[in-house]
Amino acid sequence: MSDTATPQTFATRIEPYMGILGPMVMILMIALFMGAVEPARYFRLSNINQILLDAALYMPMAMAMTFVITQRGIDLSIGSVAALSAIMMAFLIKQYDFPAWVAVIICLVLGAGMGLINGLVITVFRVPDLIGTLAMDLVYRGFALVLAKGLVLARFPDLITEIGRGQALQFLPTPVVIGLLTLIGGYILLRATHFGRYTISIGSNPEASEMTGISVDRHRVYAYVLMGTMAALGGLLLTGKLNAVQATSAPYFNLHVIAAVVVGGTSLFGGRASMIGSLAGVLLLSMMINALVTLRIEFFWQSVASGVVIILSVAIYTWLQKKDRDGGGGLASALANPDNRKVGLLALSLAAAILILLVLGSVFGGAPAP
Amino acid sequence: MSDPDPIIQMHGITKRFGGVTALRNVDLTAYAGEVLAIVGDNGAGKSTLIKVLTGVYQPTEGHITFDGQPLVMTSHADAIANGIDAVYQNLAIADHLTPAQNLFLGSELTKKVMGFPILDNRRMTEQATAVLKDRLGVQLKSMDVMTESLSGGQRQAVAIARAVRHDDLRVLVMDEPTAALGPQETARTLKLIEVLKAQGLAVIVISHALDDVFEISDRIHVMRRGERAGVVRTADTTSQEVLGLITGANLANGGAAA
Repeated sequence: MSDTATPQTFATRIEPYMGILGPMVMILMIALFMGAVEPARYFRLSNINQILLDAALYMPMAMAMTFVITQRGIDLSIGSVAALSAIMMAFLIKQYDFPAWVAVIICLVLGAGMGLINGLVITVFRVPDLIGTLAMDLVYRGFALVLAKGLVLARFPDLITEIGRGQALQFLPTPVVIGLLTLIGGYILLRATHFGRYTISIGSNPEASEMTGISVDRHRVYAYVLMGTMAALGGLLLTGKLNAVQATSAPYFNLHVIAAVVVGGTSLFGGRASMIGSLAGVLLLSMMINALVTLRIEFFWQSVASGVVIILSVAIYTWLQKKDRDGGGGLASALANPDNRKVGLLALSLAAAILILLVLGSVFGGAPAP
Repeated sequence: MSDPDPIIQMHGITKRFGGVTALRNVDLTAYAGEVLAIVGDNGAGKSTLIKVLTGVYQPTEGHITFDGQPLVMTSHADAIANGIDAVYQNLAIADHLTPAQNLFLGSELTKKVMGFPILDNRRMTEQATAVLKDRLGVQLKSMDVMTESLSGGQRQAVAIARAVRHDDLRVLVMDEPTAALGPQETARTLKLIEVLKAQGLAVIVISHALDDVFEISDRIHVMRRGERAGVVRTADTTSQEVLGLITGANLANGGAAA
């Protein structure tokens, strides 16, 4: 029994730093793996630049999503918000000859407006955030399609390409600087403002926050407005990076950003926020996707990898936060549990059914077509 | 202890919710530097009574006097402004904030940085440490941990400290302060109540645990079916008599309760 005491005290000691340590360990693992398998191409300066450019796109959204998730909320509409606000900006520039800087600001304000609508749908109409933002995702995507039809709007003024992929600041690409600045801003917002403090208290204990006199709904709306603004910034960065935008741009922003934030140690159950963790999560996902590309693994595996990373990280954080890890008794006692046996039986019979059907199919089907 | 002027008095309080009468013509008196226990069965009206006292509910009939002056409260915030606060059974604590952040939750201290109000975390921690130490005699090992990691008694201390942080607090209502605590933590919480009493607060404690009530209270106010069944001086009574009042059993027959 003495060996169980050591990991527990160790776990409690490192618990506050889990948000940073977790992704760091995974980043290190990817780095080590790639160092062993493909060091020449992966660690090339141009490739590292590529990883950072990719990560920068998600940094502002990960910052805002940290607030939303810490409040026990979720926003699934960010991809559409990004696409719609970027398309409106593109139209203002291409069709109405707006100066780029005006269009950029309008883009961000439009994003804030869409975030406000999300927030009001959730707090005023009391639509659960999952359903509310999923439905608004359809609405915004629909508007984007209505506006742009199948058009690809391309070739934008220098300001926008500078924001998306410029290198004006020598050391780091401009979007990386923008992304890091938003994360620093988010860190300050979380640590040193009423909004940040109440975000944690709302996620930790909504009833207590209400009783203490905090305007819970108002601060939840603030979080969605921030999220909308940062989604618009994400759309802007994407438009600048590709120098083109269309209605179907940014399809998987929502899951990618949620994955980054959750991998970074921000709890989906509320109250636990880690801004540095979100940065680490964004970097981790970008490194992972880049590694898949470097290893010439088919593009479609990326979504498999992202999903597995989400599940693994949530499961691991939940396990780490469980205070009582004694008495599990290992595999044998888990199998002895009648509930687990029934689930196991179900799994076995599903496997058996598939096997039998495959056999039947191959018996009656003949040889596979070439 | 019971100086002649009560700090707060409730006169003939009746509270109806639709057709249900939760309180009927209840009087309550509390003195500074005294612990008043409110006991009673489930549904006897204890919680409704203190919710009226702390401004959460408004009485259907009856009135409250505070320092001899009539007091009308329209919300819990009114009660806090008048120096009446409550510590609820669930403590209303955000587990993921530090004790200091919880103490100042909803009324954070700020400082100006380039014209922007920024939370002054250092000053809040200093003041929270001072409140916990000076008013409650509690010193936490670390002020930087999440409140989640504290023991039940320490969390209780944080919740109490949030109420006593206001220097003008006069009346503190505690709803079942010992219900979720083990024996050791209970003893510590009872000690906290003693400390507050010595500081001249009127402490009103709702409790089911008669042992605790007899240990700390000066007077016991017994509620039964929405009415005041009696008020007894703790020193002059027995738990038999109090049980009799709670259950309504005839005392002349020797208290057939328990």
